[in-house]
Amino acid sequence: MKASVLQENLALGLGIVSRAVSPRSTLPVLANILMATDEGRLRLSATNLELGITCWIGAKIEDEGSTTVPARTFLDLVNTLPNEQVDMDLAVRTQNLNVRSGASNTDIKCIDAQEFPPMPVPELDGGLEFKVSELKEMIQQVVFTASTDDARPVLTGVLVTVEGDRITMAAADGFRLSVRHSKLAAPVKQPLQAVIPARALSELARIAGDSDEMVTMVIPPERGQVIFRLKDVELASQLIEGTFPEYEQIIPNGFKTRTVVSTDAFLKACKQAEIFAREGSHIASLRVSPGDDTQTGEVEIAAQSEETGSNETMVDATIEGEPILIAFNVRFLREVLDVINTPNVALETSVATSPGLIRPLGEENYLHVIMPMHLGS
Amino acid sequence: MNRKIIHIDLDAFYCAVEELHDPTLRGKAFAVGGKANRGVIVSCSYAARQLGIHSAMPSSRAVRLCPHLIIVSRRHGDYSTKSRQVMEILRSFTPLVEQISIDEAFLDISSLKESGETYARILQKKISDELGLPSSFGVASNKLVAKIATNVGKASQGKNDYPKAIQAVPPGAEAAFLAPLPAEALWGVGPKTAARLEDLSIFTIGDVAKQSNEDLRGHFGKVGPDLVRRARGIDTRKVQTSRVAKSVSKEVTFSRDTTDENKLKETMRWQSKSISKRLKKSNLTGATIKIKIRWSDFTTISRQSTLPQPTNNPDPIFNTAIQLLNKYWKPRRPIRLLGLGISGLQSPPRQLTLWEIPKYDNQSNLQAAVNELRKRYGDQSIRKARDLDF
Repeated sequence: MKASVLQENLALGLGIVSRAVSPRSTLPVLANILMATDEGRLRLSATNLELGITCWIGAKIEDEGSTTVPARTFLDLVNTLPNEQVDMDLAVRTQNLNVRSGASNTDIKCIDAQEFPPMPVPELDGGLEFKVSELKEMIQQVVFTASTDDARPVLTGVLVTVEGDRITMAAADGFRLSVRHSKLAAPVKQPLQAVIPARALSELARIAGDSDEMVTMVIPPERGQVIFRLKDVELASQLIEGTFPEYEQIIPNGFKTRTVVSTDAFLKACKQAEIFAREGSHIASLRVSPGDDTQTGEVEIAAQSEETGSNETMVDATIEGEPILIAFNVRFLREVLDVINTPNVALETSVATSPGLIRPLGEENYLHVIMPMHLGS
Repeated sequence: MNRKIIHIDLDAFYCAVEELHDPTLRGKAFAVGGKANRGVIVSCSYAARQLGIHSAMPSSRAVRLCPHLIIVSRRHGDYSTKSRQVMEILRSFTPLVEQISIDEAFLDISSLKESGETYARILQKKISDELGLPSSFGVASNKLVAKIATNVGKASQGKNDYPKAIQAVPPGAEAAFLAPLPAEALWGVGPKTAARLEDLSIFTIGDVAKQSNEDLRGHFGKVGPDLVRRARGIDTRKVQTSRVAKSVSKEVTFSRDTTDENKLKETMRWQSKSISKRLKKSNLTGATIKIKIRWSDFTTISRQSTLPQPTNNPDPIFNTAIQLLNKYWKPRRPIRLLGLGISGLQSPPRQLTLWEIPKYDNQSNLQAAVNELRKRYGDQSIRKARDLDF
């Protein structure tokens, strides 16, 4: 293999795929990045057997070929090379990769590409197409709600349901639930359901950038895999097996108090409260006081710490229904408010021990259910 | 339907346990308690009681009163083990056991066939055969009368040996049984109340029972009607299998009155830690910190302060306690006893779940297992690896 690439492109490509490298695997080759010539371009791939990322970069190919390069070494080296052309030449017999750029001349010991697990070659026909920006927003609005605890693997994933022209993503960690809908460009013939690891979706959102390009999602039948294809990047992930909880019944279908506040003001109040609620239980109390003819409604967000002190913030609100005192994990509140893009947000509550429902005002496609904290008794 | 309640009281429990260790004590005048100059008698044998020794008496006075008195130091582990074994025997008969102290409990055997007296005999024999401990029983249709019955039964036995009494009060005979007893035998009647009752020419429980609610309310406020009800032998309280603590506290009597600020602080630090440990063990938090100071002249003050939010951590408890101490202790004024307590107990805030999450059960199972190991093999038996010294 002999090829030349621009340092900038190589660094970008390595940065994208290196997230799937598995540095501590028992399989040494998984700590490497597969580099292969592919129809006039250079293909870079990494996998940890659950998540695989492939990226194509422009290159001038002189000799076809492939090898696997230790990811850490290669990435560190390339990041320090000058922003110029990088010439690479592989000695097939020794698997020694010579990398030259400017005044720099490096030899890296590689592992034969034969040892690298085969990457899935997707059949992109029949895939679902989304706008990258829409998919990215969907992911960001649900993925933080997935559990990080491996005790219940299915909750570390996002349930993706496609039916007709509607796609739904849902994630829940047992304390909160996020549900986001979106419309597809064209309806699907077969309904589809899969639990995709939250980690894979986060990586996808990270790679996707803010472009207006399209992304294709394919779930090949019987393979237990999902593949996302962007212009120059492909991400494949194992699906999570298991039954996702029936979340529809968790969503409250009524409320006693509906509090509408400025998303930004509420978020800032939560961020302040979190400073004081950080240690210990993360608990912040919300005292919702409806207004009357002469006074607007208010929400007092308060948190206390044994060590640092206490904080209260009043936020003006339009309140419908009864006053309520309810406590939440303030990190949970902050995380959901962070992903709501509408200027105002509604919090619907019933009693201090039943779930609250948060919706962006004027957006029907997102909802978040959050379980309160029980103040001792 | 009439309930069948048994009250059990282990006779001179600490002494009985000591006799098991040293049979030569049998029949002798001896007491369990502190030997040091500040020691207090915890329990005394029936022979010692004949000589006027009673529990809570300073050891020094007991020895003055009876120079031959043998004082045995207490060995706490043994008492709680024995107590636990007794409670296990009780629970093998019914799960409805309410332990009210190390040597006392109530049983609700309403659902069992035989009479309370029969069960009392069986239990008394079993506890004697298996553990070598003497016990007395009161049987009645409620807790109040059952407990008084135990006391009456004990008092009616010979004074030189363990009473091993069983006293039953048949249903319907409660008021008649209580009537001749002095008013002081009633729960809630201490020396002060008794004196005020006497001023009203009320001497016996029967006299109290004859009063109208209104009369006693006039004299004693809202406890008045309670007294009348109790005097008539009425008590509807259930046997509670688990007791909810209202407060947690620690007291220390110094071996010599102290004015040493560091010593006081050290004591409070230790007390705070110990209270925190107990709160965490029962998964509780408390908000009101109370200190108790007894000066060298035995006058005692209690002062309290409430935290903005409940805690079970030692530091806020300690800091508040120290603030109270600094406020009410004049340096150089000697302190005999220092107490620290916390009340306003409640369970700590916890995150509610959308559905049952097994993980949290696993966590508490783990904690329960760790607690059990520590209980059985000591605090150091299981620790986090990072707490180990290499």
